[in-house]
Amino acid sequence: MSPTGKLKLIDRVQAINWNRVPDEKDAEVWDRLTGNFWLPEKVPVSNDIPSWHTLTEEEKTLTMRVFTGLTLLDTIQGTVGAVSLIPDAITPHEEAVYTNIAFMESVHAKSYSSIFSTLCSTQDIDEAFRWSEENENLQRKAEIVMKYYKGDSPLKRKVASTLLESFLFYSGFYLPMYWSSRAKLTNTADVIRLIIRDEAVHGYYIGYKYQKGLEKLSEAERDELKGYTFELLFELYDNEVQYTEDLYDGVGLTEDVKKFLRYNANKALMNLGYEALFPKDETDVNPAILSALSPNADENHDFFSGSGSSYVIGKAVHTEDDDWDF
Amino acid sequence: MSAAPTVTLAGTEMDYHSLNAMLNLYGPDGGIQFEKDREAAHQYFRQHVNQNTVFFHDLDEKLDYLVENDYYEPEVLERYDRAFVRSLFEFAYSKKFRFDTFLGAFKYYTSYTLKTFDGKRYLERFEDRVCMVALTLAAGAEQFALDIVEEIISGRLQPATPTFLNAGKKQRGEPVSCFLLRIEDNMESIARGINSALQLSKRGGGVALLLSNVREHGAPIKKIQNQSSGVIPVMKLLEDSFSYANQLGARQGAGAVYLNAHHPDIMRFLDTKRENADEKIRIKTLSLGVVIPDVTFELAKKNEDMYLFSPYDVERIYGVPFADISVTEKYQEMVDDARITKTKINARHFFQTLAELQFESGYPYIMFEDTVNRANPVAGKVTHSNLCSEILQVSTPSTYADDLSYEHVGRDISCNLGSLNIAKAMDSPDLAKTVDVAIRALTAVADQTSIDSVPSIRRANDLGHAIGLGQMNLHGYLARERVHYGSEAGLDFTNIYFYTIAYHAVAASNRLAIERGTRFHNFEASKYASGEYFDKYTDKEWAPRTSEVADLFARSGVHVPTQEDWRALKASVQEHGLYNQNLQAVPPTGSISYINNSTSSIHPVAAKVEIRKEGKIGRVYYPAPYLTNDNLEYYDDAYEIGWKKIIDTYAEATQHVDQGLSLTLFFKDTATTREVNQAQIYAWRKGIKTLYYIRVRQMALEGTEVENCVSCML
Repeated sequence: MSPTGKLKLIDRVQAINWNRVPDEKDAEVWDRLTGNFWLPEKVPVSNDIPSWHTLTEEEKTLTMRVFTGLTLLDTIQGTVGAVSLIPDAITPHEEAVYTNIAFMESVHAKSYSSIFSTLCSTQDIDEAFRWSEENENLQRKAEIVMKYYKGDSPLKRKVASTLLESFLFYSGFYLPMYWSSRAKLTNTADVIRLIIRDEAVHGYYIGYKYQKGLEKLSEAERDELKGYTFELLFELYDNEVQYTEDLYDGVGLTEDVKKFLRYNANKALMNLGYEALFPKDETDVNPAILSALSPNADENHDFFSGSGSSYVIGKAVHTEDDDWDF
Repeated sequence: MSAAPTVTLAGTEMDYHSLNAMLNLYGPDGGIQFEKDREAAHQYFRQHVNQNTVFFHDLDEKLDYLVENDYYEPEVLERYDRAFVRSLFEFAYSKKFRFDTFLGAFKYYTSYTLKTFDGKRYLERFEDRVCMVALTLAAGAEQFALDIVEEIISGRLQPATPTFLNAGKKQRGEPVSCFLLRIEDNMESIARGINSALQLSKRGGGVALLLSNVREHGAPIKKIQNQSSGVIPVMKLLEDSFSYANQLGARQGAGAVYLNAHHPDIMRFLDTKRENADEKIRIKTLSLGVVIPDVTFELAKKNEDMYLFSPYDVERIYGVPFADISVTEKYQEMVDDARITKTKINARHFFQTLAELQFESGYPYIMFEDTVNRANPVAGKVTHSNLCSEILQVSTPSTYADDLSYEHVGRDISCNLGSLNIAKAMDSPDLAKTVDVAIRALTAVADQTSIDSVPSIRRANDLGHAIGLGQMNLHGYLARERVHYGSEAGLDFTNIYFYTIAYHAVAASNRLAIERGTRFHNFEASKYASGEYFDKYTDKEWAPRTSEVADLFARSGVHVPTQEDWRALKASVQEHGLYNQNLQAVPPTGSISYINNSTSSIHPVAAKVEIRKEGKIGRVYYPAPYLTNDNLEYYDDAYEIGWKKIIDTYAEATQHVDQGLSLTLFFKDTATTREVNQAQIYAWRKGIKTLYYIRVRQMALEGTEVENCVSCML
C-alpha cells in the first residue's frame, strides 16, 4: 500500500520499445516464435483415423499414455513454468518472449486434447488420464519440476525450465516420430513436429538467458549452479528411465528410447552451456528418429494427405510501383 | 501390410527404415551415405518383400490363380494368345529391372502392387505390373503391348498413378488422373457437382470444381435480396464429400475449387485458409485456386481498386455464366453498368493477401486466365484448372430439368496423364517412337474409359480424347550432363527438348487421326485447322542457341525438327486433323517420379536428400537421381536456385505445351509477401499459365539444429 492508502500494483510501467532492443537475441527469437504461430485446427488429424485403427490395443494404450504425459508437462509449463520466468526477465523484451512461450505451451496442451478427441473415445481418454494421475514416475517428474519452479532462484528456475523443454518432453516425442517413420499417424506427427519446432527454440532461448545470467556471477556461485544442474539432471534422469520402462517395456522399445533420453539430456546441457554427460556410443539414437527430429521445416510433404509442418506466417510487405513496372 | 519388423538396433542388423534414414545423416568421412540407402532397398526385399510375396511355380499357375480368384480381369488376358503373354513376361523379366532407391521400392510395394485381399501379401513384382498395364492398354495388339513394356521397363515412360495402379486389376478404380467440373448458379448444378465429386472420388480421381458462377454472399434468390450464402457453404459441403469418399477408396479423395479474382466472395474464399480462421469457415483439406485475368494486374499497376461483380447479375445481363465472359474485355463495360451489383477492394491489397495466404498454407493456386486462353489452340473458353494446375481444357455448362435429369449435357473435363523421363527419353534409341508409344498408350486410356456416372465427362471424353503427356527428371538429366539448372544451357535445352516433343506429339496424334479416320470434335474451329498453331514453327528456325546443347542432342542422336518438318506436318494436320483435342500437360509427378528414379516434373530438386512425407509411407528419405558425393554442385535445391530461374525454365517449356505445367515456387522463410508478389508478376509477364503451390522452407534457428544432419546444412 502506498502512503496515500491507494492500492498500488506496480511502481511504474515502462512502455516496451522494440526499436531499442538491448539484446538482439530477444528480437530474433520473438520474430521466430511469432512467425511460427500455429493452431492445432490446421492439421487434419482426422486423416489419421484409419491408421489409428491399425495399431494394436497395446500400441493404442501406449500412445494415449504418452500423450497424457505430454499434456501434463505442457500444462505445467504453460500455467506455471514459463509464467514463473516472467518476473525474472531483465528486459521488457525478454518478458514478451516468455509470455509468447507461455501462450504457445497452452496451445500445445490443447493440441494433445484435439488429437485425443479425434482419435479416441472419451472412455479411453479418461482411462489414460487416470493412468497418468496414478503413475508414480510421471507424478514424481511433475513434482520435481514444480518444486524447482517454486524455488527462489531465477537461474535455478531457468535450469528446471530448460531441462523440461529440452529433455523431459522427449521420452514422449519419441513415439509419434517412431510412428511416422513407420507410416502411422503422420498427421499427428505433423502436430508434434510443430511442437518440437517450438520447444527447440524455447529450450535454446531459456538456456541462453541462463548463460547470460551466469556471466554476472562469481566463480563459486557458478560452480554451485553447475552442481545443482547436474544433480537435478541425475534426479530427473533416474526417474525418466523408470517412466520410460513403464511406458515402453510392453512394445520392446525401451532401450532405444533410453538412448534418445541421453541424447536429449546432452542437448539440454548444451543449451545451458555445459559439456555433454553421456558418451557418444550411449546416445546413438535410431537414425530414423534422429533424422525426424530436425526442427527444420523442410519436409516435402504430399499436400493431399496432410498440411505439413513447414508453413510460417509470412512477413507482409507492400509492393511498390517499381514492382508493377511492366 | 505389416509394418517394418520392430526396430532391431545396434548389435543385430539394422532395419531398412533406419538404414534409409542414415541418408540424412553424414557418414564418418563427412559424405552422404548413399550406400546405406542401397542397403536399405536390399534389406527391404530381404526382410520384408521376399517373405511376404506369394510363391507360384510358373507364370501360368500365377495368371490362372489371379484370374480365378478375381484379382485380374479375365478380359485383359483373353485377348491374347497365352504363348504371347508368356513371351511378354519373359521379355520384361529379361530387362533385369532393379529399383534405384529404397523409396522407389517402398512406394511401389506400398501403393501400387497387387496384394491379397487381406492386404497382407504381395502378388506382383514390378515386371508383372508393367506387363498387365501393357496388356490392358494394347487391348489385343501384340506389338503395341511389347512396345509399351519396352518403354515402361526401360524407364522412359511412366503412366500416371491411376493407370499404373489400376490397369488389369479386377477390383479397381478408374485409370484417369483428373476431373474438372463446372458448377452453375443453381441448386441442381450445385447438387450435381457434389454428387459427381463423390462418384469421381470413389473411383480414385482428383476433382476440381469451378465456383466462379455461383452467386455471392448476400445476392438475391428469386429476387429477394440478401438471401444467398455464397460460395463458402458450397466449399464446406465439397470438403466433407471428399473426406467421406476418402474413407472408402484406396486413394485419398482430393478436391480443388477455383474462383475468379473478381467474384465478390474472393476475400472470404481466401480467408478460409487463414491460420486463425474460425472453425465454421476454415477449409483444411480442400485445395483453392484463383483465376486472375490481365485486368487485375493492370489495376494493381495503377494502384487502383478492383471491382468485384455479382455473377448473378452478370449472367442475367450477358446471358452466359460469369466464367464464360472475359473479365478483362468487359471490365469497363461492367463497371459502367448500373444493373450489375459490385463492390471493390484495392488490387494491390488483393495480391498481398494472396501472398500472405500462400505463406501460411501454400494456397491458392493461380491461373492466369487471359494467358491461358490466348495460348489455347482449341475453340472455347478455359475457365479453370485442376487439382495440380496443369490441365487447361475448354468446358461448356450443362442444364437440368425439374426432375434433376440432364436437359442438356455440357462438356466437363477429364485427363489421362503419363510422363516421360527426360534423361531416359534422351537416351532413347528412337525418341519419335517413344513419344508415339506414349501418345498411343494415353489415348488407349481415353478410348477405354467411360465415366457413366458423370455424363458430361463421358461426353467430353468421347468427343475430344484429350490426353496429357508430361515430362519429369529435367533437373536429374541436366545434373547428369553437368549442366546447371536455370543456366543459359539449361534454358536452351528445355526449349529445344519441349520443342522436339511438341513436334512428335502432334505428329503421333495426326497419325492416329489418319489411321482411324477420326478427328476430335470441332477440330475445324481450332488453331491446328487454321494453321495458326504452326506459324511460330514455320516462320522461324528453332535450334539450340548454345554449343553445349547442340552437342547434347547430337551425342544422343536426337533429331531437332526443322521448319521443313513442320511445314509437312502442318499440311498433314490440316488435311487429316488430330485425334486428340489436347496432347500435353506437365503434372507435378510425386509418387511416380520416386518409382521411376526421377526428379519431379521439371522443377529443381527440393533438397539433395529429400525428406518425403506422405500418409501412406510416412517420413522417408530420397536421394536425388544420379547424385554422388562428386557432383553435388549441380544439385542446388529449389530454394537456392530461386524463383526467377524456375520461372525462366518453365517459360521455355510453356511455349511448346498446349495445356499447362505445374509450377511450384519455393521461398526461404526470410522472403516477404512482396517477394512472392514479384514472382507472380514476373511469371505472368513471362507467359506462365498457372502457378501451383508455394513451398516455404524454414531452417532451424542457429543453435537448435540436429548435429550431422544432411538436411540441416546448406
